Amino acid sequence: MPPAAIWMDGLIQSCIYMTMAFGMVLVFSILGILNWAHGQFYMFGGIVVYYAVAAAGIPFPISLLISAVAVGVLGMLVEKLIIERVNVPIYGPLYVGVATISLIFFFEGAASMLFGMQDKGLSMVYPGVLDLGVFSVSYQKIGVVIFTVIVMVAMYIVLNLTKIGLAIRAVSQEPVAANLYGISVKRISVIVMGIGCAMAAMAGSIMAPIYPVNPFMGRIPMIMSLLAIVIGGIGSLTGAIVGGLILGFLNSVIAYKISYFSEVVLFILVILILLVRPQGLFGASLK
Amino acid sequence: MMIKYIDWKVTIPRIVAAVPIAILVFIPVFSTSRDTLSIIILSGVWVIAAMGFAMILRTGQFSMGQAAFMAIGGYASAILTVKMGWSFWPSFFMAGVISGIIALIIGSVVLRVGNIYFSIITLSFGEIVRILAQNLEGITHGARGLIPPSPEPIVLGSFEINFDASVVPYYYFMILLVAITSLVFWQINRSRLGGTFFSLAANQILAEHQGIYLMKYRVIAFTVAGIFTGFAGAFYAHFLEIITPYMLGLWESIQIMIMSIVGGVSSLVAGPLVGAVLLKVLSVYLSRLPVYGIHALLFGGAVVLVLVFLPKGTGLIDLWKKFWRKVFNEPEWYEIPSIDE
Amino acid sequence: MSFLELTNVTKQFGRLSAIEDINLSVNQGEVLGIVGPNGSGKSTLINVMTSYYRPTSGSIYFKGRKISGLRPDKIAALGIARTFQSNILFEGATVLESVMVSAYLQYKTNNLQSFLRTKAYRDEYEKIVGKVLDLLKMLELFNDTFLPASGLSHGYQRMLGIAIALASGPKVLLLDEPTTGMNHEEAMFVVENIRKINETGVTVILIEHNMKVLLDLATRVAVLNFGIKIAEGKPKEVMNKREVIEAYLGTETI
Repeated sequence: MPPAAIWMDGLIQSCIYMTMAFGMVLVFSILGILNWAHGQFYMFGGIVVYYAVAAAGIPFPISLLISAVAVGVLGMLVEKLIIERVNVPIYGPLYVGVATISLIFFFEGAASMLFGMQDKGLSMVYPGVLDLGVFSVSYQKIGVVIFTVIVMVAMYIVLNLTKIGLAIRAVSQEPVAANLYGISVKRISVIVMGIGCAMAAMAGSIMAPIYPVNPFMGRIPMIMSLLAIVIGGIGSLTGAIVGGLILGFLNSVIAYKISYFSEVVLFILVILILLVRPQGLFGASLK
Repeated sequence: MMIKYIDWKVTIPRIVAAVPIAILVFIPVFSTSRDTLSIIILSGVWVIAAMGFAMILRTGQFSMGQAAFMAIGGYASAILTVKMGWSFWPSFFMAGVISGIIALIIGSVVLRVGNIYFSIITLSFGEIVRILAQNLEGITHGARGLIPPSPEPIVLGSFEINFDASVVPYYYFMILLVAITSLVFWQINRSRLGGTFFSLAANQILAEHQGIYLMKYRVIAFTVAGIFTGFAGAFYAHFLEIITPYMLGLWESIQIMIMSIVGGVSSLVAGPLVGAVLLKVLSVYLSRLPVYGIHALLFGGAVVLVLVFLPKGTGLIDLWKKFWRKVFNEPEWYEIPSIDE
Repeated sequence: MSFLELTNVTKQFGRLSAIEDINLSVNQGEVLGIVGPNGSGKSTLINVMTSYYRPTSGSIYFKGRKISGLRPDKIAALGIARTFQSNILFEGATVLESVMVSAYLQYKTNNLQSFLRTKAYRDEYEKIVGKVLDLLKMLELFNDTFLPASGLSHGYQRMLGIAIALASGPKVLLLDEPTTGMNHEEAMFVVENIRKINETGVTVILIEHNMKVLLDLATRVAVLNFGIKIAEGKPKEVMNKREVIEAYLGTETI
């Protein structure tokens, strides 16, 4: 049995992957494409929060919102200026894939020029440790978990109880019919991309006090949340959450047990899942 | 006696395209600088890999692990020469064979699931190869990598081609390799295989109901790509005289993909060739810029601009065709017929 | 055992039976019409026969050989070709390319021969080009040979669908509503062609809404309603049966 700290670490990782995977799936279900540069929005979230807190001295919770909004707008711009123009029928997913992958280079390059290459870290915003006798947890980490739960609940409310959520669900199920009923698919795409990127940014910013901030911090969460989506089933929001949870724990626990081969095990697991059940754990059966 | 009709609209563009190729062949006559030649040699490696990617894409599949086959080829050749003491030529040949066999095995298991799932599986496969190369210390020397030797000199009577003295032999070796790959791919595209591959991408359900066994053709494309990508990888390792786990990972797979798409996948040979050469040269010159990060920024930006501003679904190579259509004042491909018949 | 035989074929989607316990035998050389109101399982029947779906239970025999559960390409190779209810085309291909690709099954030479362009392959290729052009002439697609398939009008796309199915040289042709969305003249043109195709020895199974087409063409008719076969026989007789009229018009109107 791994020590409690490992499980806690797993939970924290789950939180990132969950939030990121949720945003990616949301974008996928509306636009029908994977946003490969999702990790870079996560990275921008971390960087914006770093500047807001360390340079401008804005309190952490407010800078979190600022970063979500700023990166959300960036995501909308990307959708409007690039994805919408590249997403053509037939080969659309391919061209969007290549465009967003090129954006990885673009964004990482921009970030290294502006931010510099070195790791930077925020000091703990909520210092102190909660001692539970058996093990202890820093308040910061508890904050991450609570924040993730809040974000998820908020997303649930937005998707299920608001008009825009209704529109989003309608477009994800039947874009043509939704369009005929007066829902602008283009506008919904932009909004959803904004929401997805804002979620990635929130994941990045809430992590900034715990993990170091640098221009390449988005790569691993990106791959991991991609795998989480695959495990959960591409296109399924529940799947994204469960996949994120599974992957976070798996990653930390396997890494504890068998060190460097953890990644190999993880990738083989993903390949096996895809071969046996391509639609993932929660996806609808394909045929 | 048959009189051959010469269609100038086909011939002139071909002659114009032949000029840079002829210049390429004679470059070592004018300059033997290691710098210039290396850029072209290395672009050649990526040209082959990009062609392989385009071939797989022809069948409608999107491989994100092509660099892994380069790594397999590179390591296979390096292990055979360094650890087993083989000489260069047989191990170079075996590199392609091994890479092809692995592609065949992986392909026949994995190509059952198509589309995005296939992309993620190949991505995972690429990562597995990288991690294994990093951790199987006994075989691959881990992170330090292997140092494969340069090819043995070829002795032709009194004339000796020595790969250690200059890069010119490498240069012609590369040109030969690219030429052979192009020829094979061009011929595949022209044969019935080309049409069958195309039908898979164009509509796999319809293709299947016409009696085409999808798996067979997907595996053929994947394997052929694997073989040639393996050769490219082996060449890469021997030319740089090093192979490490970090040289050929996910980011290289992604670059292969970008090169193919930007060049244009409407043709199996010319598109990846143009894309790989242009982007490699661009990348080399950009990396000489002094500010860190500007390289990635401009590279990514250039690719995005190309994708946004080119007509949808086409690459750079299609501009060439468009240019000649303008020159000969031909109408666009077709006009949409009016609604009533 | 007859030419093509379905025994107790059932296909369920979840709890819903799209077709239930269908027994049907098709004789060589006939035109069998399958009719039924919307949602009665006609297209599902074709999809099951060509293995687009696997039947939940029951089996299908072709020339005495069990074909249910085979891959779609195997079934096509045995000589059963189909068209689709909607216009499904090879994206980005011209008319000629679409049909040439579909002639895949007609080649006897293997891929290696085609790669090396041996004499046998080139001869065969020329022969097949000839056949394909004849086919296009017959279906009046010849003028559009070099046009992209997606640019054709709806009626011509339907004809192209038939051309694609015929290109594989089938013994049995399953047509899924070939005349949808056509006016009378166009429909009659299709009828003429189906008759011509039938005369070359191809067995035709025809799903149709258009009664006129069916009465003109079919030698035998089977009627489906809610996934169950309710009648079978000569077109004229079947159409006067009480169950059939009820299925189409509802009970109360009588």
